[in-house]
Amino acid sequence: MRSRGLFVAEFLPEEARLLSSLADQITELVRDPEAHRADPAVHRLLPDAYPDDAEASAEFRRFTVDGLAERKAANANQVAADLASAAEAKSASKVRLTDSSAGAWLRSLTDIRLTVATRLGITEDGDLGTEEPELIDLYNWLGFVQGSLVDCLDR
Amino acid sequence: MMTLTDVLEDTEVVESTIPDLPWVTIVWNDPVNLMSYVSYVFRSYFGFSEAEANKRMLQVHNDGRAVVATGNREEMERHVEAMHDFGLWATLQKVDE
Repeated sequence: MRSRGLFVAEFLPEEARLLSSLADQITELVRDPEAHRADPAVHRLLPDAYPDDAEASAEFRRFTVDGLAERKAANANQVAADLASAAEAKSASKVRLTDSSAGAWLRSLTDIRLTVATRLGITEDGDLGTEEPELIDLYNWLGFVQGSLVDCLDR
Repeated sequence: MMTLTDVLEDTEVVESTIPDLPWVTIVWNDPVNLMSYVSYVFRSYFGFSEAEANKRMLQVHNDGRAVVATGNREEMERHVEAMHDFGLWATLQKVDE
C-alpha cells in the first residue's frame, strides 16, 4: 500500500530471504553477460535490438551492455538492501520503499520474473511450465508482488 | 535574380539535410510482463495518456507487437535501451521493413 510517498509491503522472513537471493542471482547473471551468453535468461534480459541484423545487434550490444548490466545489478542490489532487515526478522515485517526504490523494484522484479519464466520454459502466452510446481508457485507469487506494486504506483 | 541553377543548388542543400527514412521502436508481446506494467511503462516513459498507453499495450498483447515511437535511429536506440531497462522486449527497424 502507498503511504505518504512511501510504498509499504509486508514480507515473511522466508519470503524476504527468497526474493533477496533471487535478486542476488540477477546480479550474478549480469556481472559478466558475455560469460553467460548461452544462457537464454541473459538473452531475454539483454535481447537483440535488431532482429534481422546480427551485425547491428552486436554493435548496439557493444555500446549498451555495460550500462544495462550495471543498472540491472544496481536495481537488484537495491531490492536486496531494502529486504535485509525483513530477511533477518523473526516474523513478518514491513518493508518501506521510497519512490526511487520502487522504480528499482519494478525493474528488478521484471528481471527476476523473466529469468524464472525462462527456467520454467514459459515462452508464449498460455505456457504454464508444468514441470516444477514450486517454481510455478514462486513465479505466481512474484507476479502478485509486482502487480501490487504497479497498482500502488498507478494511484 | 535567382537562376534555375541556384534553385537546383538550394534544393540539393535542402535534400541533403532531410533525415533518412524514419525508424520505429517496436515492443513485442511476451508471456511474462503484466498488462498493467506494460501500460505503466508506456505512460511513465513515453508520456502517453492512459487511453493511448492502454491502446498500445493491447496492440502488443493482441497483435504480438506495437510501434511505440518513430524518429531517427539514435533516438530509437535510446528508446530500445530504455525498454530493455524495464525488461520489455523491444527492437528497432526502418519504417519500410
